[in-house]
Amino acid sequence: MAEVKSMFREVLPKQGQLSVEDVATMVLCKPKLLPLKSLTLEKLEKMQQTAQETIRQQEIAEKEQHQTNQ
Amino acid sequence: MGSIEMEPLLLAWSYFRRRKFQPCADLCTQVLEKAPYDQEPDSDEPISQAAWILKTRALTEMVYVDEIDVDQEGIAEMILDENAIAQVARPGTSLKLTASSQIGGPSPAVRPLTQAGRPITGFVRPSTQSGRPGTMEQAIKTPRTAFTAHPITSSSGRYVRLGTASMLTNPDGPFINLSRLNLTKYAQKPKFAKALFEYIFHHENDVKNALDLAALSTEHSQYKDWWWKVQIGKCYYRLGMYREAEKQFKSALKQQEMVDTFLYLAKVYITLDQPVTALNLFKQGLEKFPGEVTLLCGIARIYEAMNNISSASEYYKEVLKQDNTHVEAIACIGSNHFYSDQPEIALRFYRRLLQMGVYNCQLFNNLGLCCFYAQQYDMTLTSFERALSLAENEEEAADVWYNLGHIAVGIGDLNLAYQCFRLALVNNNNHAEAYNNLAVLEMRKGHIEQARALLQTASSLAPHMYEPHFNFAALSDKIGDLQRSYVAAQKSEAAFPDHIDTQHLIKQLKQHFAML
Repeated sequence: MAEVKSMFREVLPKQGQLSVEDVATMVLCKPKLLPLKSLTLEKLEKMQQTAQETIRQQEIAEKEQHQTNQ
Repeated sequence: MGSIEMEPLLLAWSYFRRRKFQPCADLCTQVLEKAPYDQEPDSDEPISQAAWILKTRALTEMVYVDEIDVDQEGIAEMILDENAIAQVARPGTSLKLTASSQIGGPSPAVRPLTQAGRPITGFVRPSTQSGRPGTMEQAIKTPRTAFTAHPITSSSGRYVRLGTASMLTNPDGPFINLSRLNLTKYAQKPKFAKALFEYIFHHENDVKNALDLAALSTEHSQYKDWWWKVQIGKCYYRLGMYREAEKQFKSALKQQEMVDTFLYLAKVYITLDQPVTALNLFKQGLEKFPGEVTLLCGIARIYEAMNNISSASEYYKEVLKQDNTHVEAIACIGSNHFYSDQPEIALRFYRRLLQMGVYNCQLFNNLGLCCFYAQQYDMTLTSFERALSLAENEEEAADVWYNLGHIAVGIGDLNLAYQCFRLALVNNNNHAEAYNNLAVLEMRKGHIEQARALLQTASSLAPHMYEPHFNFAALSDKIGDLQRSYVAAQKSEAAFPDHIDTQHLIKQLKQHFAML
């Protein structure tokens, strides 16, 4: 360990000023934690989905009937 | 075979208790076909009466959603708000946000904001989902992407769509023909009336008829039944008559103090934008029902909506003391820790949720992010893989890809980051954050034109975010388009007044203009 220590020695200026130019960089949008859904919301979404599904199926059935009638 | 059968009504009852509502309703229909009840409560057939009530209740349960949680405000209600007392509320007394009330909330440099200008929360409910715009200006400014569209009025919203859908599924038409119903007759039989009311209110979504029935019934009970008063209040609330609803709930509370009634009344106050009154009411409720989780949670929600995150998390902690499996409280505290630079603590909260059996895309995405920022790299990618496989729709997948892009940026793999943000956009073409981040990456490659186009898209999609405005200002400044830079910088300042870099840029630009 002692060897490693001697290999890397930090360099700090002993005199004079240390200045860093602050360069304005572009900003990334932050990572987004996704909110969990409440049970009510999940149920509402599920109900809406099944309702839409049944409506779509009914529409398809109606169309088919229409076609067979023609 | 089949010679020994259960008594059908008993079987139906058993189905009902096991929450198998469709078979229950079917069985009841059979019973009713044998002994038609035909909307005549006078007939003395107890079996058909029982079957009728049971079917009504089964049909109600199928579409039942907790009325306390449901709240969706349409544009019409917002614009034509007759209940507003003052145009500009005093600070700390309104849920509507002004730029000055953001002080004290978390900085948008750390925690992303929703369109309503609120920090994103750890939990969505029907009322927080669409993120109701705080002011009318915001409501109009908010671009209509597929996911932010508000219904025109709440009465054309989800209730009606669900109601009509439930009728469509029944080929023989509705079970009860409301227009042929003699409400006065039913009102005299309290047991029938209660089942019938819930059916009309939840299944048929016919608030007017429901209100008529409730009014007749409360009259019949000589105004002594608190339950009917609460129901009348619910109807008034749906009809948008908030002050009348308030009166009914208060009168019900006088008769019988119930947790539900407190919650309904608080909901009225929140809709009337009187959070302080709602808070007092909750505290009053807590005196009667000490440690009641729903009341505590209500307080926490209000504080969160008022941007008072520290008080909110205090109350969420109080909730967890009473009920340590409360998903909403755990999720909110977790996200607070994540955004206050303690991802390792947030990780413990989300792990707790996983232990409790929550298993969905959102949770794994959050676990992945927490793992990465808490330097537990071994779990990060597997969590995101699982989140992607559990994503139910394209918007969820887009958000996961977007977050994965951050991981890629974090490990310095810019190619992967580029691909992740691209994939986020493939999945959701309106993902403003992904556009912005992609622009930053393009800028690093020196593709100024692409970056500019992407930033313009981002800022038009999400005018509430300061990042695209600021980036656009910085970019325009770089290529010497000072006028555009100034305009964009001012937009950025409006979105996030305390942003140092923006202030710096504006100052610099003003100096330039003064020299001309």
